[in-house]
Amino acid sequence: MKILSKTRLENVFNKLNETAEVFVPMQRGEQSGFYPWQTFAAGSDKLWLEALNVYLPPKNVVFPQTERMYNIKQEGQDVKIDETYEDSKSRVIFGARACDVKGITCMDDVFLTRGYEDSFYKARRQATTIIANACYAPGIACFCSAMGVKYVDPEGADIIIRDIGDGYVWETITEKGEMLTARIADLLEEREVTLPEPKPFQQDVNYDGVAEKLKGMFEHPLWDKLSQTCQNCGICTYVCPSCYCFDIQVKMYGNEGYRFRCWDSCMYEEYTREAGGGNPRPASKERFRNRFLHKLEFFKERYGHPLCTGCGRCTVVCPAGISIVKIIDAVKEADTDA
Amino acid sequence: MHKCNCEQPLVPIMVEVIDIKEETPDVKSFFVKNIDSNGVPFNIEPGKLAMVSHVPVGEGMFSCTWQEGDEYLQFAIKNVGLLTGELHQIEVGQKLGVRGPYGNGFPVQDCKGKNMLFIGGGIGLAPLRSFIKYCFKNRADYGKIDILYGSRSYADLCFKEELFELWLQEKDTRVHVTIDNPEEGWGGHVGFVPAYLEEINPATENTIAVVCGPPIMIKFVLQALEKMGFSDEQVITTLEMRMKCGIGKCGRCNIGSEYVCLDGPVYYLNQLKQLPPEW
Repeated sequence: MKILSKTRLENVFNKLNETAEVFVPMQRGEQSGFYPWQTFAAGSDKLWLEALNVYLPPKNVVFPQTERMYNIKQEGQDVKIDETYEDSKSRVIFGARACDVKGITCMDDVFLTRGYEDSFYKARRQATTIIANACYAPGIACFCSAMGVKYVDPEGADIIIRDIGDGYVWETITEKGEMLTARIADLLEEREVTLPEPKPFQQDVNYDGVAEKLKGMFEHPLWDKLSQTCQNCGICTYVCPSCYCFDIQVKMYGNEGYRFRCWDSCMYEEYTREAGGGNPRPASKERFRNRFLHKLEFFKERYGHPLCTGCGRCTVVCPAGISIVKIIDAVKEADTDA
Repeated sequence: MHKCNCEQPLVPIMVEVIDIKEETPDVKSFFVKNIDSNGVPFNIEPGKLAMVSHVPVGEGMFSCTWQEGDEYLQFAIKNVGLLTGELHQIEVGQKLGVRGPYGNGFPVQDCKGKNMLFIGGGIGLAPLRSFIKYCFKNRADYGKIDILYGSRSYADLCFKEELFELWLQEKDTRVHVTIDNPEEGWGGHVGFVPAYLEEINPATENTIAVVCGPPIMIKFVLQALEKMGFSDEQVITTLEMRMKCGIGKCGRCNIGSEYVCLDGPVYYLNQLKQLPPEW
């Protein structure tokens, strides 16, 4: 087995950093997420590969919070689009958990299938190598396996690492992974180890049949009750590894500027408000319902699997204590005979 | 010559405004064609959508009002907001961006051999017009054509030359126009579209009704059609939603698991009734 000793982690990051931007999980002040290794400040940042989970998923690596699309120049009636910004710089996500890798493959479904390929997403995605960190001890908010995520054998990764205490088993999966492994091969060692036994989940979630049951529950009174405390703040969509909704906006400085896209949230009233004043989801309840139906029913109908990867972030950060786990339970228990 | 932005579907193709026509006090038609060559940026079938970009201001999704061969694409646009307000300020020669075509369009093939009943209100005639003109262009493929159109006032009626002159000259065609309130000099029908529809009481046999207008009109027209005996398979409508990407990615125009920009905007009523009632 190929093993990466934990004492050599920084050497690996430094080596990879020569040819790619390397995103690693860190605690940074009150915040945690995947940040570029080159911004690592030894005094204040803490490398945090053990975390389940860091607050921010690595989705921004392939789908940045804001992304410039093209430049605009206008001169009187003439308008030119003179440069587009498809970004194909090499990037590495080091230590993503199975739920976060699944979040990215959900975005692959959205951005790369069903008739159109999003060229901006495609450029970043193709240039990104994912090193997944297999989970052997699910965290307190985790329920990924209930959502069909293989936490011990993450799907969609180019390389999988497995924590064995003093190091990681290094398993190369794809061709992209081979290329990355070749760059750091001299930092790996060869020895046989015993893999740890996966520990059970700390909460029991049962999603079986939920998507199908939800088909008949659009008008069910449970949405009134469940949505009552929602403040429509949108933090759940912000920390979600698979939420991909975006807005397209323009910024002009005099005669020059650019069009960009940025994350949007289905929790906001403006999201669906039409110029003429109409809005199919004007109230909190409708937006709340749409978000959870999208996660648990609609996405599965369209792409064959749910849009929730069981990372648990939204249940941790919600200021109103709303939890997708409790919603799954409520749907399970709901009386639909009425 | 047609261009394609399939490689970069979110980046518009630049076009030039070659003519602007004031249809009503708050509706203008914009006619666009390629800048550096003859022709239109892409072919767009009746009922399909295009994202029209006043590049430094914003983008908005519009149903294409008509494609005249390689001559131009026409978009009739009502001034309702920021982007459309700015569009109403531009002059001939302005460069705009367009991307598309998006969506499914009207089922022009399915409707062959049918009598057509077009029911429109206000700016809702703009999408219908692409189908109406298509029928006239392929007149032998369609049966009798009834066009029922209403607006707030005479001034607010779009495409007056066609309503009161050109379409009346078409074979087996009736045009029924109504305005909401009586006004001096108006000798035509007064009243709302759904009530006028019941007065006209069109035959249902072998007929397809195509409806577009403000939501309140659509609601009562659908009720009236049902009362008159139209089945859900005989009724088509085209939906409006806020859209940003046009290619089924950005999320906001969903009804259930459907994206109106990609899977719609045109639906038979029986299809719509399968979806959550968020339209």
